[in-house]
Amino acid sequence: MIRDAWRKVRSRGMPPAGEETGSMLPENLIWVFGTARTGSSWLSAIMGEIGGYSRWHEPLVGHLFGNLYYERAGHRSEDEHFILGGRYRYLWLDTLRRFVLDSAAARFPEVAAKEEGYLIIKEPQGSMGAPLLMEALPESRMILLVRDPRDVVASNLDAHKKGTWTADLMRKGGKEKPPSLAESRPDAFVRGQARRYVRDVGNAKKAYDAHRGLKVLVRYEDLRANTLESMKRIYSALEIPVEEAELARSVEKNAWENIPAEQKGEGKFHRKAKPGGWREDLTPEQAEIVEGVAGSLLRELYPVRSTA
Amino acid sequence: MTPRFKRAWRRAVRKGESLRSRARRSSRGVSPENIVWIFGTGRSGSTWLGSMMGGLDGCAMWNEPLVGNLFGNFHYFRVGGRKQGRQYILGEPYKETWLGPMRDLILAGAAARFPGVIGGGYLIIKEPNGSIGAPLLMEALPESRMIFLIRDPRDVVASSMDARSEGSWLSERREAQRRTSKPDRNPNVYVRMRANSYVQQIEKTWQAYRAHGGRKVMVRYEDLRADTLKTMKRIYSALEIPVEEAELARSVEKNAWENIPEEEKGEGRKRRKAKPGGWREDLTARQVEIVEDITAPLLNEFYPHTATTRGAL
Repeated sequence: MIRDAWRKVRSRGMPPAGEETGSMLPENLIWVFGTARTGSSWLSAIMGEIGGYSRWHEPLVGHLFGNLYYERAGHRSEDEHFILGGRYRYLWLDTLRRFVLDSAAARFPEVAAKEEGYLIIKEPQGSMGAPLLMEALPESRMILLVRDPRDVVASNLDAHKKGTWTADLMRKGGKEKPPSLAESRPDAFVRGQARRYVRDVGNAKKAYDAHRGLKVLVRYEDLRANTLESMKRIYSALEIPVEEAELARSVEKNAWENIPAEQKGEGKFHRKAKPGGWREDLTPEQAEIVEGVAGSLLRELYPVRSTA
Repeated sequence: MTPRFKRAWRRAVRKGESLRSRARRSSRGVSPENIVWIFGTGRSGSTWLGSMMGGLDGCAMWNEPLVGNLFGNFHYFRVGGRKQGRQYILGEPYKETWLGPMRDLILAGAAARFPGVIGGGYLIIKEPNGSIGAPLLMEALPESRMIFLIRDPRDVVASSMDARSEGSWLSERREAQRRTSKPDRNPNVYVRMRANSYVQQIEKTWQAYRAHGGRKVMVRYEDLRADTLKTMKRIYSALEIPVEEAELARSVEKNAWENIPEEEKGEGRKRRKAKPGGWREDLTARQVEIVEDITAPLLNEFYPHTATTRGAL
């Protein structure tokens, strides 16, 4: 009751969305933030299978605004001439809100048409802009999906080697993958990926802490250990009704064990899905690099884990 | 109240607020046709040109909002093959869903920042470092006017090198950002990088200029330096903006290089030398070759009679 009243106040206090927003309700958006290689494709596939849900696969709107705001023009945040300047925050947050709602309604009319439809927005690579997105859309629901940074970096290290799925992806887009630091200078690559983890997960965590609406923090490791229980916890925290049998079917359908063996393994999109696998993948020096760069987040998100 | 009724009520409230808000914006905003964009690249005299135009009665200058950088950098250089897809936020198939908010972002931002130009004045948006997004911005605001300001790439690179050298006016900020190879550390690498960014920015400006069906003008910095008043009159004529010659002459005079105090000019300062062809004194022979090789098609297009170290272009 109190939460409902609060949401009403928040939505009235927010700059209004444009009329082009159609019928997309911001409270029916479920954002999945974190960083790449944390299982967001898996999680969003499980949720997207359920009736009434659609999945928006990486719109990158968080990266679009977050990259300029936090990185390239971070020094200008108080400059009133800057388009994303602090003094006119209400104006550009309104635009950001319309950007998302208009775009979502145009792409997913089947969700916009339903009162009870939900849109899962899988946005790990736009997590840098999560604080801006959640501020612009305070009624939306949020999942912060985290994974041990050492496993994230190990997964990326594998993905960016020669002849892996990332090269196939680039080839499909008409480009050849340039030589990667993952091959020529793996330690430098590891450091870069650890910094990226801090940037993405750090900002997503800030958004999570600030978000007053419905939200849930999920560890990839818990999702792997007991998927159905974790999924039920997610739906409960987000206050979304779900039929347990349907959820169980989706969990089963998307289970690691049901992915054909030839689609799994090193160099493939589905690699090993093994929490703690970093011990086999990273050198002790590389593990130390990650712990040095991402130590603060590691301690905060995984307080009982050991370090290298 | 049932949940369904509550949602319907919230939606009605939002819709009403939205319509009122849009009505307010459209009746009290800056007219898009009264916006004059200056695109090109940094260190090409855009501050000088913007100051002369923005200083006229009823006009103002919006100094580098970076809105072109916001959309263009990402759209043209980061997303690769995803532009045609359904998922990407700036996907081509859904252009109408994002060109509208982009337009509103600029117009609402302009009205909030420059209430003085509402009702007939002109807003000069100096956006050289957002030129990468010029095609998107001009598509979102086709009624606006456009200035394509260009300068010899060798002078642009020479000026940029000076600006980012140790102790100069831009070096501290770059140091804080921990980015950009410093010209002092590896000058030739910096020259290559800056020449490449020149090509990116000028090519996108040129693309926008060619596509723009509205009023527009191309200006060479060298012509502006050689005869400022005459070139300014040409700009106003091409853009079909009425201007009093006496007022324009006063603005030209006020912003003239010769009227800038000596202590505000020189190496390491924002106003450096304003000397077309000064690159001959600033760049090494190898650096000149690097710039000329990278920018050859643009030099050929915009400076066809210039001599290069490798002879004819």
